[in-house]
Amino acid sequence: MPPSIQLDKEQVATSTPECQAGVLVVRRHHLLVRCSHWLNMPILLGLILSGLSIYWASPIYRHKPDPRTGNFDPLADVGMWMCAHVPGLHQYSSPPDWVYNHISLGPGMLAVALRLHWLCAYVFILNGLVFVVGLALGGGWRSLLPRRTDLRDALKMFRYYLGLPLAKLARRTWPHPRFNTKYNALQRVAYFSVPVAGLLSVFTGWSIHKPMQLHCLAAIFGGYDKARIWHFWLMWVFVLFVVPHVILVLADGWDTLRSMIVGWSTRAGRSEGFWQ
Amino acid sequence: MNLEDEHSAPAADKTSSAESVSPPRPASFFQERPPEVMEVAPQLLRRLTRRDVLLFGMGAIAAAAGGGVLLPQSTLERLGVIHEKKNWPKKEWLLNGALRIDDDVAEALYSRNRLVPTYTKSQITALKNNYNGATPDPSYIPEWRLTLEGLASGLSASLSIRNLLASFQLHEQITRLVCVEGWSAIAWWAGLRFDDLLNAYPPMSQAKWARLESSVNLGPWGNPDPYFVSLNLSTARHPQTLLATHLNGKPLRVEHGAPLRLLVPVKLGLKNIKAITRITYTADEPADYWAKRGYSRYDGI
Repeated sequence: MPPSIQLDKEQVATSTPECQAGVLVVRRHHLLVRCSHWLNMPILLGLILSGLSIYWASPIYRHKPDPRTGNFDPLADVGMWMCAHVPGLHQYSSPPDWVYNHISLGPGMLAVALRLHWLCAYVFILNGLVFVVGLALGGGWRSLLPRRTDLRDALKMFRYYLGLPLAKLARRTWPHPRFNTKYNALQRVAYFSVPVAGLLSVFTGWSIHKPMQLHCLAAIFGGYDKARIWHFWLMWVFVLFVVPHVILVLADGWDTLRSMIVGWSTRAGRSEGFWQ
Repeated sequence: MNLEDEHSAPAADKTSSAESVSPPRPASFFQERPPEVMEVAPQLLRRLTRRDVLLFGMGAIAAAAGGGVLLPQSTLERLGVIHEKKNWPKKEWLLNGALRIDDDVAEALYSRNRLVPTYTKSQITALKNNYNGATPDPSYIPEWRLTLEGLASGLSASLSIRNLLASFQLHEQITRLVCVEGWSAIAWWAGLRFDDLLNAYPPMSQAKWARLESSVNLGPWGNPDPYFVSLNLSTARHPQTLLATHLNGKPLRVEHGAPLRLLVPVKLGLKNIKAITRITYTADEPADYWAKRGYSRYDGI
């Protein structure tokens, strides 16, 4: 017989593990979804670091060359400005390279950056397939589909997150918007958009990588040069997603973080969930 | 392995009690399903948590180590991870493997019948002098000859620009030249088809490659630095692969490779060798200037 919460205390104390009072758990994430979720971390890091090294070779944003330095890259300007104004950076050996030395593999490394970018890009594509298979097998895709009420509800959640620190300071109650789905609307919008951004990154990447053989694909994004701009800003979508994502998961607690590692959650009875 | 596999029997048995806390069954295929609530013994839960978190930790350490090794030497040095150059043969093997897979993909995508987009004269953009080092002194141009080797005849041929212009039909095209760095330029070219040259001076039967060389190329400090590229003959026979003689309706100037340069729009700009002085047909893949410096060998785009 399976365990049951109706078992009395004596029975629990003397029983084998199978006969103990159980913990209610719900499945959250399929194994393949979890694997691909965590693999994205090193892959995206590799793609961004190598991608910015590739960007260095020919920045898409440039201004008229500075008459003094000949520099045309705004990111080099940022580095020079920082080294001139930020305490502790005055001695930095190569101010124009500061940005590239800190958010890329480094300047002047196009060949190595390209090799690493291709490796990460192919792994990223395979990892995306793993994610899709995991969503299909676990049925998790249904929780990601946008709904008609999502925009309004996402704004409610946004307002909740913005007001939460103030409400805490003012010791006011600040109720969490109620929802009866796996994710709240803001999560759903984010978790739906990021895979779409991943897909667009892959397509814009191929448009830049093979602009002749795949020129029809590049044309969808407005041609080779526009596809480069798309590809550049899609990177920032990931960066802008990851920062609040990590903060909110940590704020939400161990159960949420653990569910992405082990696959299940013990929040079978959370008030704003299905299981109230 | 997941929780359910190890505990499927109790989970199946619990459905009757789980139903009581679940909302009604969904109506649509797309509608979110209520979660499966399972009851699991605390010991089992702890054991599985420990196992999965340990596995995750080992995976994270492996990923950090593997990812760290894959980063370039100079990046690791700058980060202070390593202090001297170390050689990890497996790393080169992996990264070169990715490059080769990518070359194979490029080769699979290539078709002699697929033309690259052409543009109108109003879409022409500026084309910079992209000689990697110093621009050669134009004094080589009057004496210039093109030498062909590896021909079916077993002889070599030496052609002047007059010979070439007199014996071949010129074709015009406005195409995009894409640099490996990311910039590109749309330019109006004219020249003879490489395919026509191959027909007029057929290479030896086993030849699959052409090695194109420019002996007048200079290095960064003006030192002689011959430039050479490998080109598969299948790409050389593409109808838009030209041996260009004209840019914007005028004979090529020295900075664009006077008097004859390769224009192969299905390859990266670095294959579009300027001031070709020698073409050698070979059975085996010849060396390539930029492939030796860590770039791809095929460079198909």
